[in-house]
Amino acid sequence: MTAAAPEPKANMGKPVPRYDAVAKVTGRATYGSDMPLDNPAYAFLVTSAIAKGRINSFDLEDAKRVRGVIDIVTHENAPKLKESKLFSNGGYAGTTIQPLKSADIAHDGEIIAVVIAESYEAAREAANRVKVNYSAVTPSASFDSQGTTKAAAKGQNAQFKEDPKVGDFAKAFDEAEVQLTASYETPTQHHNPMELFSTSCAWMGDTLVIYEPSQYVYGLKNGVAEQLGIDADKVRVVNPYVGGGFGSRGSMTPRTAIIAGIAKRLNRPIKLVPTRDQGFTIATYRAETRHEIKLGASRDGKLVALRHEGAEVSSRADPYCVGGTKTTTRLYACPNVDSLVSIVRADRNTPGFMRSPPEVPYLFALESAMDELAVKLNMDPVELRRINDTTNEPIGGKPYTSRSLMACFDEAAKAFGWAQRSAAPKSMSDGDWLIGYGCAATCYPTQMAPAAARVRLQRDGRTRVEIAGHEIGTGAYTILAQTAAERLGVPLEKVAVFIGDSDLPPGPVAGGSNSTASTCSAVMMVCDQVRQRLFKALMPNESLADKAKETVGMGQTPSTEAARSDRPLDLEKAFDALGAGVVEEYGEWKPEGAPLDSFKAMHSGHARLVGGAAMKDKIAYAFGAEFVEVRVNRFTHEIRAPRLVGAFAAGRIMNPRTARSQLMGGLIWGMSSALLEATEIDERTARYVNDNFADYLVPVNADVPGVEVILLSEQDDHINPAGAKGLGELANVGTNAAICNAIYHATGQRIRKLPVRLENIEV
Amino acid sequence: MSDISSSQSSGFDRRAFMAGAAGSALVPLTARATAQEARAPAVQDPALPVDVTLRVNGQDKRLSLDARTTVLDALREHLKLTGSKKGCDHGQCGACTVLIGDRRVVSCLTLALAAEGQEITTVEGLATNDRLHPMQQAFVDNDAFQCGYCTPGQIMSAIACVKEGHAGTDADIREYMSGNICRCAAYPNIVAAVKQAAPEIVKG
Repeated sequence: MTAAAPEPKANMGKPVPRYDAVAKVTGRATYGSDMPLDNPAYAFLVTSAIAKGRINSFDLEDAKRVRGVIDIVTHENAPKLKESKLFSNGGYAGTTIQPLKSADIAHDGEIIAVVIAESYEAAREAANRVKVNYSAVTPSASFDSQGTTKAAAKGQNAQFKEDPKVGDFAKAFDEAEVQLTASYETPTQHHNPMELFSTSCAWMGDTLVIYEPSQYVYGLKNGVAEQLGIDADKVRVVNPYVGGGFGSRGSMTPRTAIIAGIAKRLNRPIKLVPTRDQGFTIATYRAETRHEIKLGASRDGKLVALRHEGAEVSSRADPYCVGGTKTTTRLYACPNVDSLVSIVRADRNTPGFMRSPPEVPYLFALESAMDELAVKLNMDPVELRRINDTTNEPIGGKPYTSRSLMACFDEAAKAFGWAQRSAAPKSMSDGDWLIGYGCAATCYPTQMAPAAARVRLQRDGRTRVEIAGHEIGTGAYTILAQTAAERLGVPLEKVAVFIGDSDLPPGPVAGGSNSTASTCSAVMMVCDQVRQRLFKALMPNESLADKAKETVGMGQTPSTEAARSDRPLDLEKAFDALGAGVVEEYGEWKPEGAPLDSFKAMHSGHARLVGGAAMKDKIAYAFGAEFVEVRVNRFTHEIRAPRLVGAFAAGRIMNPRTARSQLMGGLIWGMSSALLEATEIDERTARYVNDNFADYLVPVNADVPGVEVILLSEQDDHINPAGAKGLGELANVGTNAAICNAIYHATGQRIRKLPVRLENIEV
Repeated sequence: MSDISSSQSSGFDRRAFMAGAAGSALVPLTARATAQEARAPAVQDPALPVDVTLRVNGQDKRLSLDARTTVLDALREHLKLTGSKKGCDHGQCGACTVLIGDRRVVSCLTLALAAEGQEITTVEGLATNDRLHPMQQAFVDNDAFQCGYCTPGQIMSAIACVKEGHAGTDADIREYMSGNICRCAAYPNIVAAVKQAAPEIVKG
């Protein structure tokens, strides 16, 4: 057994290798642009060189002379497309800015032409020969630019329902023995999944097949159908493998319907592979945010007042926001809480979900402020969290379904060696290196969405599981196979899993860390249906419910342990009794509290996530604690993070191997969000500057010498049948604060603006 | 560039190719439209196909290619070997890494014509009779990937890293594997995989 496959603790599945491991190491895993097409034409995008204004004219003569050019599509001759509403407002789209609709330009890098040619090389050549005459208007780039507008998020974004508050914050803060007011900033960041934002479209008669990396094949299918004005049954999205998502592929981008429309007109398959830099402007991103935190506490560390005000940038067209106050106002016990989230509109493309969208920026602010408060109180920051730990969230008083925050702190502190820390800043060093230890809490809402599945069981035990889930690197294939094998009592190697295809039963968007809970709960339910049919054949006179319960633990929650194969069905006998060779069942599962229109919405590709803080009489979150060591060179100010240690509790762990890998990647993402990642914007032109992998810094192997993940055993019977909380977005939260807290410890300098680079250190 | 003169057709010659390549270097590879007027006219239409034979995974493949075609696009678009991935097309991410001879190269920055006559090995050429290469097996054992998109490039790079003698310490592995970006950040597991496979690869 390797470090990659931790020994399972209680309420954890087996750390089996990935279902898709061999396909991925042999190059046989097929991603969107790997799909073979019959005689494709190649598309290359031309994107806007200004952020605001109009196109006066194109000069296409030079471009059209390039051998192999078939067509150049601009707003003057583009296929007409219908509008789609913003994902956050009940639609499919990540932006309502529809390129090629008019001569108007709303942001830098907007698609303004598509060159179609016989080869990729010719399309690229011609695209570079497209000349554009613009009338440019001075754009507003970000917070400090002239011409932006600012307004409260509430009332303009349907997903942002309230600014949480309770008690009398102003009075309590005024009267608090210890007060802290601090402002924080987080930068623009881009997902930069390794797979580019490719799209291949092929029509067969009036049916469209789309090969595209997507985190929501049902959303994309229905969204493209809506834009093209055709029946959704005529659109199929296929992507058995997705080369990373991180939120960038959850909502529809404008490129897909454009390419589909052109392919239809040309009557030929089209393959588009945009460039890395185009990915910065044709999809979404994490917008820059600003925060003011006010904390009031008693001398013994009890929070008495907390206020979190956040501001986020969005586009002129769309009121996107992440609104993380729903989490930061509920994390700690505090009787007087106030909050406000505002949206600032600038001439930018519309931002969107990026891994832990609300928690990464909002917990950076809160968890930095908690550390500052601990310093003011002369208190160990771990103890400050312990003093303010709670079993009920303070806004509505609802109980957490389970909460292992302090257990995570204690486990991680032990593994890290927190006790060896000397509390005073600048008190630890190693030669030229100042050493700092820092920590922070992480949490992420437990979310679920309706999901459907089909399960087919053969007499010989071979099983086929079908659900339109998504393999974005999370291990979806693997845990679905494990779930079915356990639930049916068949060997794992007999289970075949089919996901990533909108012709399969609808699964949820692979976002909000809901996939494992939702898809596994659906598959468990349908496996039970299969078993029930076999039971009925074997035991026609028994009370089905009683017998089923007794024999395989049906109806128990979470029932996976009980359903293990220790008492397997005799399949041969059962199938003989049934008089059939195959049992196939289809079922639709929805979580507790799902809205009435859930199943309808599921089929039409509308995400209906429930859970987290929005549950009726309870609140469900996964928790963790993260400890980091930073080293700051006292002469060069170089900052390194040699050790990242995280302990996490997230309900049932389906597979400790895939769980550990996701959390490990998350910790590294968290470090990166503190020290490396920022998309630089030219304030004068509202254009992204560092839109490539050489200048947009993401971690490489040499950046992460030591990462340790500790999985805590936790059982939660109040969330979903699978008992899983979801952990894909848990580990990259709070890390940014932990790093800044460690930098303070190393240098005595408090840094409140990310990312921290060596030029920000003033030792 | 010394080996590209072997097979020519369509009136292609090396002098014209070099001039064309120099000219195209002025053209940004991205499609940001510019108002810039002045562009040197190509000496010869580079879209005219050129015959080339690539030796890939031990087999000769005869192709007729646009002279600007990279090894990566030749593999993916013309030979249907889609294991090698396009992640940036700028040599910045390493997803397209293949071996040319024993050397690891980013196939997105290598023109197919420049690779003629050399042994190209891709991820598809590693496993023999369904038996995984030790590095592939080590990646499976150590869960050295998540989404898998960078994995073919990581594996090719890792094999070269060992053969170069750069797998002696964890720090060396980290340094010499830093040309391959893994956005899922499976890095510690990649280091463990390289360590596991190294002795077997060194042994041959």
